[in-house]
Amino acid sequence: MNDSLLEFKDLRVHFFTDEGVVKAVDGVDLSVPRGKTTCIVGESGCGKSVMSLAAMRIVQKPGRIVSGQILWHGKNGKVTDLSELSPSGPDIRKVRGGEIAMIFQEPMTSLSMLYTIGNQIGEVIRLHQGVSKQEARNRTIEMLRKVRIPRPERLVDEYPFRLSGGMRQRAMIAMALSCNPALLIADEPTTALDVTTQAQILDLMLDLQREYGMGIMFITHDLGVVAEIADYVAVMYLGRVVESADADTLFNNPKHPYTQALLGSIPKITATRQPLEPIQGMVPNPFRRPAGCSFHPRCAQAMAACSEIVPEAYRIADGHIARCLLYADNQPAGGEPAQSMMRSMR
Amino acid sequence: MSTQPASGQQQGDILLQVRNLKMYFPIVKGAFGAVKGYVRAADDINFDIRFGETVGLVGESGCGKTTVGRCIVRAYKPTGGQMLYYGSNDGQVVDLAELSEDQVRPYRRDIRMIFQDPYSSLNPRMPVFENVGEGLLNLTDIRGKDLEERVKDAIVRVGLRPEYIRRFPHAFSGGERQRIVIARALVTNPRLVVCDEAVAALDVSIRAQVLNLLENLRNDLNLTYLFVSHDLSVVRYICDRVVVMYVGKMVESAPVNDLFARPLHPYTEALMSSVPIQNPRQRNRGARIRLEGEVADPSNPPTGCYFHPRCRYAQERCRVEQPVLREVAPNRMVACHFAEELDLQGAIQA
Repeated sequence: MNDSLLEFKDLRVHFFTDEGVVKAVDGVDLSVPRGKTTCIVGESGCGKSVMSLAAMRIVQKPGRIVSGQILWHGKNGKVTDLSELSPSGPDIRKVRGGEIAMIFQEPMTSLSMLYTIGNQIGEVIRLHQGVSKQEARNRTIEMLRKVRIPRPERLVDEYPFRLSGGMRQRAMIAMALSCNPALLIADEPTTALDVTTQAQILDLMLDLQREYGMGIMFITHDLGVVAEIADYVAVMYLGRVVESADADTLFNNPKHPYTQALLGSIPKITATRQPLEPIQGMVPNPFRRPAGCSFHPRCAQAMAACSEIVPEAYRIADGHIARCLLYADNQPAGGEPAQSMMRSMR
Repeated sequence: MSTQPASGQQQGDILLQVRNLKMYFPIVKGAFGAVKGYVRAADDINFDIRFGETVGLVGESGCGKTTVGRCIVRAYKPTGGQMLYYGSNDGQVVDLAELSEDQVRPYRRDIRMIFQDPYSSLNPRMPVFENVGEGLLNLTDIRGKDLEERVKDAIVRVGLRPEYIRRFPHAFSGGERQRIVIARALVTNPRLVVCDEAVAALDVSIRAQVLNLLENLRNDLNLTYLFVSHDLSVVRYICDRVVVMYVGKMVESAPVNDLFARPLHPYTEALMSSVPIQNPRQRNRGARIRLEGEVADPSNPPTGCYFHPRCRYAQERCRVEQPVLREVAPNRMVACHFAEELDLQGAIQA
């Protein structure tokens, strides 16, 4: 995709703990396009959150980026490798909050209890846009109105604990969008909310995307939410993207056995009772990742080669890739010569 | 370890009748404990649980569904109303709501609970054996070898290995812990199990395993479930009948297929419409119903129907007169003035 906003190239983020090394993100290739919604979906521990934290350069110790690139296509065509910036330097600070904004699952822990809503949003605006206090306040009220918070002129002076969960998440979105970022990273932003509130927030995010044209990188475990909002979807398992495609293809023509199994194991509100087919076993211990394809011990279609060869990403169709040996006859998506050697081993 | 129906009870007979159940929590203010009002967490709840069925209790956070579940296991003593239990071994009908702490003890074996979070509901300092066997120690005379056998039985039932009983909870994954929590509920041979968001904290691939396990256990052991959940897709999958709550009130109850095909209460309709559908081809966002505003405060609810400020069909009558729960068709209860006139849409058909 030429219209990339953020590109992960063979990104590896490992955590060096006393018990061993956890390879939370282990070779992710992904492109997040401009102005569209890209959903990253996977179970807990698959590395989806760590990947987004790496893009913001806020991975906590003992984790660090081991290798790979995070290419940010900023304003006027300038490409920056975010993985090379100092995590506390001035360059990343300009990007973080200004060009890339992030919202988290639990708004109560990301807002400070000691400052008013207006104080916290106003600070972001003053830092990144260098306007006066009064102007920042006016813009804050304007943003709160945009996220459909009732009576924003009064709410701007309230403390976060006076707001409900849905209102707090709206305030977070207002803060994130106050500097008109090119990319909004949303890490499970509706998981803590009730379904009716979740529906309101998703609608709001899509409306604001239409208005501001920002790209959204939406991290979630909920395939229902993905189906509602995604343009593109990447499915992750144990630190790697196992399949990625546009939303329609992924839901109606999934290729990777993990994606297929995931879709088959979820009860659907529209269908009458049909037996669920759970995925066997459980997500492996992060210290002991299975050899070969990490999914093979749980895979219904596993072959002998799956326990030995780490599958590369194969091209299924334009914009649709799957990391699975079932498709080893297809073109590799990356097309590096080293990888085709492994194919001949099969 | 199958539960035999009490004296002549069989599939379809009533096991528990909840009548006008009320649970009010006082709001205490000031140093002298003056009561300033009540949070009506559950108010006038009416439903039956039949032997062998799974009844779903759904609603959003704060609607009182967990409170009702906790009243039934008598973690709370209800403020008012009845909970008539038909499952006792001597064939007598007992009102669980009235019994004192001592009187209720024999029934604690019959009615058990499974909690949401398998990380906080197991004691980390006890091995699995003690966590699971505690109920038997406290509620029965079973000791020694028999106790160990019963615990092992329960552990095997939920798909774990008997030697696991010596390990501590931290050695298990979330899905395995939830199996241990289920074993703990099963070990006393209960008739009724209250599952409070039993799969909400689990990953999707594990969730299906546990749902299937619950389903198999129900069939094998003649269990009856009250399934408290906010997840309508899960409720649709596992329940036979559903009770919908809003701000402590029951708004509707119906057999599961009827409810999803044609809800009768506007809140149920809006709730279903908010659930994401797992197919991008059915996005069709314009046709979806979106609730405005927020859930009412149960300590200071609106006048009339609690749902009227957010209801798209609300009329003057809804503002002043509180609707009563009434039976509009066989097995279908609803609390809405206009239930017969409204033609509401169910979950969109695939």
